[in-house]
Amino acid sequence: MEILKTENVNKIYGRGETEVKALRNVSFSMQKGEFAAVVGESGSGKSTLLNCIGGLDTPTEGKVFLNGEDLFGMKENNRTVFRRRNIGFIFQSFHLIAELNVEQNIIFPLLLDHEKPDPTQLGELLEVLHLQERRKHLPGQLSGGQQQRVAIGRALITRPALVLADEPTGNLDSKNSQDVMELLFRAARHYQQTVLMITHNQNLAALADRVLRIADGALTELGGMRK
Amino acid sequence: MNGKRKNVGGMKSWMTLIPISAKVRRKQSRMTGLCIALAVALVSTLFGMADMAIRSQKMQAVLTDGNWHAAFKTLSPEQEELLRARTQVEVSSWYDTVNYRLDEGYMLEGVQTVICGMEENFLDMFPAARIVEGTFPENTGSAVFSKGVKERLGVKVGDTLELELPDGNYVPLKISGFLGDTSLLTVADAFGAFVGRETFSGLAPKEAGERKDGVCYVRFVPRCDIQKTLGDIQAQFGLAKEQIGQNTRLLGLMGQSRDPFIVQLYAVALLLAVLVMVAGILMITGSLNSNIAQRTSFFGMLRCLGAKPRQVIRFVRCEALNWCKTAIPAGILTGIVVVWILCGLLRTLSPSYFGEMPVFGVSFAGTAAGIVLGTVTVLLAAQAPAKKAAKVSPLAAVSGNAGTVYAVKKAAATGFFSVETALGIHHAKGSKKNFLLLTGSFAFTILLFLGFSATIDFMGHAVTPLNPYTPDVSVMSPDNTCSVSGALLERLEHNPAVKRVYGRRFAYNVPVLLDQKEGRMNLISYEKHQFGWAEKMLLSGTVKKAKSGQGVMIEYAYAGENTLRQGSVITVDLPGGGVQELEVTAVLSKTPFDLGEGVENVICSEELFERLTGETDYTVLDIQLNQRATEGDVMQIRREAGEGTVFSDRRMSNREARGAYYCYAVFLYGFLAIIALISAFNIINSIGMSVSAHILQYGAMRAVGMSDRQLVGMVAAEAAAYVFAGIAAGCLLGLWLHKFIFEHMVSFRWGDPWYVPVRYMGMIIALILASAVAAVYRPMKQIRKMSIVETLRGCAEPQIDTV
Repeated sequence: MEILKTENVNKIYGRGETEVKALRNVSFSMQKGEFAAVVGESGSGKSTLLNCIGGLDTPTEGKVFLNGEDLFGMKENNRTVFRRRNIGFIFQSFHLIAELNVEQNIIFPLLLDHEKPDPTQLGELLEVLHLQERRKHLPGQLSGGQQQRVAIGRALITRPALVLADEPTGNLDSKNSQDVMELLFRAARHYQQTVLMITHNQNLAALADRVLRIADGALTELGGMRK
Repeated sequence: MNGKRKNVGGMKSWMTLIPISAKVRRKQSRMTGLCIALAVALVSTLFGMADMAIRSQKMQAVLTDGNWHAAFKTLSPEQEELLRARTQVEVSSWYDTVNYRLDEGYMLEGVQTVICGMEENFLDMFPAARIVEGTFPENTGSAVFSKGVKERLGVKVGDTLELELPDGNYVPLKISGFLGDTSLLTVADAFGAFVGRETFSGLAPKEAGERKDGVCYVRFVPRCDIQKTLGDIQAQFGLAKEQIGQNTRLLGLMGQSRDPFIVQLYAVALLLAVLVMVAGILMITGSLNSNIAQRTSFFGMLRCLGAKPRQVIRFVRCEALNWCKTAIPAGILTGIVVVWILCGLLRTLSPSYFGEMPVFGVSFAGTAAGIVLGTVTVLLAAQAPAKKAAKVSPLAAVSGNAGTVYAVKKAAATGFFSVETALGIHHAKGSKKNFLLLTGSFAFTILLFLGFSATIDFMGHAVTPLNPYTPDVSVMSPDNTCSVSGALLERLEHNPAVKRVYGRRFAYNVPVLLDQKEGRMNLISYEKHQFGWAEKMLLSGTVKKAKSGQGVMIEYAYAGENTLRQGSVITVDLPGGGVQELEVTAVLSKTPFDLGEGVENVICSEELFERLTGETDYTVLDIQLNQRATEGDVMQIRREAGEGTVFSDRRMSNREARGAYYCYAVFLYGFLAIIALISAFNIINSIGMSVSAHILQYGAMRAVGMSDRQLVGMVAAEAAAYVFAGIAAGCLLGLWLHKFIFEHMVSFRWGDPWYVPVRYMGMIIALILASAVAAVYRPMKQIRKMSIVETLRGCAEPQIDTV
């Protein structure tokens, strides 16, 4: 089942002499439960692609469909609500809310939707994330790896169709990176979630179902690397 | 090798980073600068206005009371000579008067005439007494006359008038000039003759012992300690305290009075000045604290790159001074311009009174206060955040969670409120210090507003130009009996130039029993207009009973001058009504009558008065004129009143009172308007800064699905937390201050009980709420336009426009 589909997505920054084509006619699709990695040099357009797919940035041209819905055919407000229900974000620098504890950070997207979190689901997630002992801790009281695990929990709590991870291990050491990756894989498998991850790390990319390479804004498929 | 090294990259030293950093973070720096400028503007405007108010009040005082400091009565010629020879004395003049009460029989063509003896210096000390034509009488037998003499008798300079003396003899006086009319003369409908000392001694009664040798008015040199000098003179000449009079109002304005009421006013002024300073300090401290707190990572980075804590402290201090460079002059300039506008307004409103006031005057007090407050506060306010910045761990700069503006110790309570509201409140309360500073500065502006609003009540009592009952002209009985015909009142009611006419009947010195004790009363009648005004002056009881003839009213007396209270019973035995008991059913804060010692003023209805005395005519008819009434109309009324009455024209004295009122009103309402404006700016600025501080976090929240409406809700909750806490604290303290000032300035003197200033409270609360709405609306509009991606990357500078 096709979850994500992009059609001729172009993104241009600036005008005239300062014009930069960040994305050029990017078209690809992802199936349910698929785990894909996007690799590329710095400045090649990886993050721009992720932001456009996630609805954080608007493409100059082209369309993005998620679950068959045209992301940019919606009004800004509707897109925000659609995003928080269907897309989970994981950032390199975590972007946790300092004023909320672990549990609150994780259920934050549900709270924004005025939904009551299911305690069983939350407990399960905390267990998967190995954060049961830290559920009342504030982000400032956690290590980098723990913070990223909270961010993953936040991305997964709404059981989104798509999880977008922008270099999720970029700020972590190798041990923590491994833990995070394992978590992402388990989530994708366990909840049948589609994961699109940006990484510089070829070894991590090699673990994905598919690897996409982006260079000068153009996307090419490197094929499946993981069986 | 040992030549000068070039500034690589245009940087001389690491301190060059300050202007570079300020340039990069232009909008944020502008916000902090604006906050400093606002605080400085507030202080310099209020002090500047106070300075201008004192200047204009001094002008008023000089015009109405004279430009003298002390008046010495009954000095011997030797004492007078010694006094004038003192180095502290700048100007002096002898002055004496006869027929001041118009009861001694000095007449010009049948009109009562006040005779004033003076030296030429007197005119210098009483600028209101200006010679409009001719010169001061240099020769014996010549005099300057009031302008009314010229107008009514048709004489000119050089003519001779025959002054009738009490003994029936006539003295010729040559007219050497004319003096502008004074309100005293127009009110009394009398003439004035102003003569030299020698001429005066020829006119004054000769009986030894009856007359003293007048008064010696003295103006001391500037910067003289007047009270000390007066003490010295009193001791040196062995004078009684009663022999020395002081120009209390002028001395009060010069800060040289020891009058208890003036001392109370000084205390209130000092309190308000301190509060204004504190409000300014809070505004600046809050702004600096917020500015520095939101750059934790920047200072961490400085530390990371090798800056010592001491260097970071120096950096913050220099940065603060860098803001002062432009913000303080801008604040002072704003203050000066506002003062100019207000002075211009005063000149336009009342050119005859404020014509002399400089439109483009600069207040030294205002400027100095602004500079001192600005610099000292900025340096002091920068102290704590500078230390805080120096303590930032280098690690904080490189570990994530950018946008955390303070160390979070407790998680937000998301159980009770929606998550956005809980976060908003938590943002507000996250840093206790910041919360206290912001709510404190909001509370202080409310406190100031309510405090100053009490001075409006003071103005209402002290300088009301025209009490509602103030007449323009009055027709009075010459012997204080009920001799002014009621038919005249009826005729005047139909006169198109007359807006309102109302009469009073007086029965003076009526022997009565006041609560069974023997005493005297002046019985005065009121009609419907006067009863209507009395309602507004009511302190206790009800006016209705007196209006229907079932009771009487009295005036509240401060310092316990009278013995009557509400419920007291007056037993009266008058020819018209036999023995009757009158109950005091109302106490008024104010009446148009003076309280005489040992005599009670008792107000009743016309019917009751008639019943008690049998009188149906009036002692006085007060007339309020229409705006379009002309001099001709007034002359017509004078003619209609006839010869058997005294005609009093109060229009000039009303104008004088109105001038004083305008002066107070413009300054006090100006103060209030400025405080209100500053409150609005302060709120918009502070909330804008707080939003800026959290902008990276807002980016993350938007990324994980927070809608614009929820974002607005969060910022609104934060603003509401500051504003409601500020309003609660401000109203609580403000009411206390209002009560304190009211009791010291109003209740102390006029007996009015303190009341909750609902109107002013409502005004300031409404303004603060409106400002808070504006404060939330503006940055939210800008945030919506910002790219989430840029914000998340930290590329987007938290640049929220404020005011």
